[in-house]
Amino acid sequence: MYANASLSYYIPGSKKMENNVFLRANGINLGDVAQSMTLYKDKAYLVVNNSGVVFVIDPQTFRLKGSITGLVSPRYIHFIDDTKAYITDLYAEKISIVDPGSLQITGSIPTPGHKSTEVMAQRDHLVFVTCWSYDNYLLVIDSRTDRIVDSLPVGHQPSQLLADAAGMLWCAVQGGVLRIDPLEKKVTLQLPVSTEGYQTYIALNGTKDTLYYMDKDLWRMPIEDKQAPSRPFLSRQGSLPYGLAADPVTSDVYISDALDYMQMGKVYRYNARGVPLDTLTTGVNPGFFCFK
Amino acid sequence: MKGVLIFLLCAALAPHPQTTDQPSRDTLPARQLQAITVSAQALLRDQGMQKTVLDSVALRSDVTGSLAQVLGQNSTLFIKSYGRATLSTASVRGTSPSHTQVTWNGIPINSPMLGMVDFSTIPAFFIDRVQVYHGPGATSVSSGSLGGAVTLATAQPLENGFSLQYNQGVGSFLTFDSFLRLAYTAPRWSTSTRVYGASSKNEYSYTNYRKKDFSYDEEGNVTGFTYPVEKNKNGHFRDLHILQEFQIKGTHGGLWDVRAWYARTDRGIPFLNVDYKDNQTVKNNQTEDTFRGVVQWRKLQENSKWEASAGYVYSDMLYEYMRRLGDDSWANMVHSQSNTHSFFLRTETEYHVGKWMLSGNVSLNQHLVKSMDLAVISVEGEEAVLGYQQARAEASAFVAARYRPVERLGLSLTLREDVYGKKATPPIPSFFAEFLISRKGNVLVKMSATRNYRYPTLNDLYFMPGGNPLLEPEHGLSFDGGLSFSHSGSHVSWKGSAGGFYSRISNWIVWMPTHKGFWSPQNVWLVESYGAEATGSLDVRWNSQWKTQAEGNFAWTRSLSEGKQLPYIPQFSGALTARLLWKDWTLTYDWTYYSKRLTTLDGWQNPLLHELGPYFMNDVALEKKMVLPHVILHIKAIVRNVFNEEYESVLARPMPGINYTLSLGIVPLFY
Repeated sequence: MYANASLSYYIPGSKKMENNVFLRANGINLGDVAQSMTLYKDKAYLVVNNSGVVFVIDPQTFRLKGSITGLVSPRYIHFIDDTKAYITDLYAEKISIVDPGSLQITGSIPTPGHKSTEVMAQRDHLVFVTCWSYDNYLLVIDSRTDRIVDSLPVGHQPSQLLADAAGMLWCAVQGGVLRIDPLEKKVTLQLPVSTEGYQTYIALNGTKDTLYYMDKDLWRMPIEDKQAPSRPFLSRQGSLPYGLAADPVTSDVYISDALDYMQMGKVYRYNARGVPLDTLTTGVNPGFFCFK
Repeated sequence: MKGVLIFLLCAALAPHPQTTDQPSRDTLPARQLQAITVSAQALLRDQGMQKTVLDSVALRSDVTGSLAQVLGQNSTLFIKSYGRATLSTASVRGTSPSHTQVTWNGIPINSPMLGMVDFSTIPAFFIDRVQVYHGPGATSVSSGSLGGAVTLATAQPLENGFSLQYNQGVGSFLTFDSFLRLAYTAPRWSTSTRVYGASSKNEYSYTNYRKKDFSYDEEGNVTGFTYPVEKNKNGHFRDLHILQEFQIKGTHGGLWDVRAWYARTDRGIPFLNVDYKDNQTVKNNQTEDTFRGVVQWRKLQENSKWEASAGYVYSDMLYEYMRRLGDDSWANMVHSQSNTHSFFLRTETEYHVGKWMLSGNVSLNQHLVKSMDLAVISVEGEEAVLGYQQARAEASAFVAARYRPVERLGLSLTLREDVYGKKATPPIPSFFAEFLISRKGNVLVKMSATRNYRYPTLNDLYFMPGGNPLLEPEHGLSFDGGLSFSHSGSHVSWKGSAGGFYSRISNWIVWMPTHKGFWSPQNVWLVESYGAEATGSLDVRWNSQWKTQAEGNFAWTRSLSEGKQLPYIPQFSGALTARLLWKDWTLTYDWTYYSKRLTTLDGWQNPLLHELGPYFMNDVALEKKMVLPHVILHIKAIVRNVFNEEYESVLARPMPGINYTLSLGIVPLFY
């Protein structure tokens, strides 16, 4: 926030967090609100929301390789193939289509009535997109035609969207977690979450067969289960997270905490059995994890 | 003793209407009596307080200056500014801008929604007298003043007859400032009209050290870079102010003042220097229409003063964040509009008997607020309204007993009680004392203490989304003490003050990001502030043609939460103004200094990202006054940021380098 976004780097087990690596590698600020980062092939794409830019960096050196500009308020990038990626936007009422090779905007997908488009997940040729800010829809885009082909209302302010090993989608909405059948385009399971207006966080383990979600405590359940677990996986004692992720290889769980939002944040790392491993200090408001 | 009182206060009260030279109907003894009374009462009223008074010399130095610039240069207030014509707020003694209460001709002008005042929207030429109350002394002005208070007042011209003043400034970045004042003063009434307009493209160039233009080889490796030279994008502004005043002397010694001030500001909000967007496709803009009106009645008698006023403030603020569609039309991304209507009633009295002054006032405020974002899409996918509409009544009662048992000693005890909505703050007591150590040099030692409260603003409580109706009032304890001294001779005059302060504010309200995706206020911090302030001035009249003047201030401020300095509070700040006067020429040099500021509480851990470096600002001006048969001309050339320093006052907000202004002042002589 406030033009002081940063990128931190951590090698699991090293117990040493390298903060501010983008600035240290490139000598320039990352910008105003680093929203997300996506790895594709040998590059990392850092989406900086208020700065209106996607930085392309070498994930080994963090050195800048290029950037995508001409965006309004970018949020997430999703790669269709080597020649096409989608970038969602908080305000633009469209999804930008970019060429990862030339880093140029090549087109757009209008999203009439939905200013805010957020996280994307793909099943076959269909890309599902949450409409987050004051919205409640999931849009379905045919990546072959770059057009919206369907949409379905879900819960209030859908934020995260993940595809599990069984091909189902898991969607975090305000006050709940939904399992969605992407082919039938209907909600097959609802897990109520007592967030009292707080954002809901979800994650899948490395094999994508186990779901983690925050409901005051951290809960864990197999993706095939039909009801919520009876006991939490980790007791959080009321501490609110600012981000949640699971290591795709080890299934270690990472929970970030923004503390009072005005100072360096914390990341708590647990192994797949819930044993605490590390407490790490990051930049301000750590909100997104990306695993190399 | 009365001789001392008159000496000390006549200068301070000179521009005030109460001391306006009266027409021939008044006899000389009557005027002297009034001056003695006013002076004695004023001395008692302010005893023990730490106060800075800005006179017309400071306020009239530059037609292009807002009050923010004048306060930053002439007081120990820290002005957090995003640049000219952008948000400029004042922090006193390490507190937040909403802890500085501001009144204009007796009515509070802090936004009931935001709690603060944007001093960039107040032209210095529209104010004739500024008083800055530091620490506990501010409780005499208003409640909620945990840091301090600033009182702004206007005055009618002193001389009878018609008067006119016109100033025109032309500056770098296509900046134009115009000021016109027409006034007529008759024995029993007077009228004054002021108009001020300012516009600028404000598109200055700067080297952007937060971006790089990289060059790559064929394999995509960086082979070099340059820092881009960019323009300050979307920084344009266009301001218009009109102030109409009437003053009528009523029967039985009463004095009526009617004042109406309309202001329209239309301002772009400059892009951050870490913003990669194009200002041809995205823009954000803020327009504000404000009306402030006040009717005031005063009656000054030998031992008492009666005053009543009624005021009204209207504000309509629109913030738009827009993107360009394919053609020339724009689509709103944010369209946030707020309207406030505030009504004020206030009555005040003072009674002066022997060694005592007893005073009290009661004020009633009623705020009606509507805040809406009209660009929000509802969950049904249709246009919806996000916002709130609230009303709040506020009442405040204040009593004070001031006592001067012996010539050298002054003691004051004040008590304030505030009610807001259905809640009340605990009583707010303050104590002041001063002792004249030495008549030679007027060495005065002062001390004061208070317990103070500030209740949440309407946005704090109700803003959608994020308002927190469970907020508690902030409460603070403040202490200060210091010395002041002065000397006035035929060739050399000097005065100064120095002191220290301590305050402890708990339940400090801070807006913070939340897990809900928006910001929300919380009572989170316990803040301890302490530090020292010093001010001084020296005037030397070398001979009938040569004079030198110097004024300066310095502040050391520690404002700590959990031992960490609060964001954007500089530990050290200072300013110096030096003038060399020869005949009708004046050469002025302004110097300001701010030490490094941290942008987060933990900024010291990562100074590369969270620290703004110290900066020195140097401005030079040369002015020539030309007295012609029927007109007086003032020609002034100003060079700002003489050394072309590259700096940011606020993170990612680059400030302009060296820039120039030429101004012309015209005062016709109608006799």
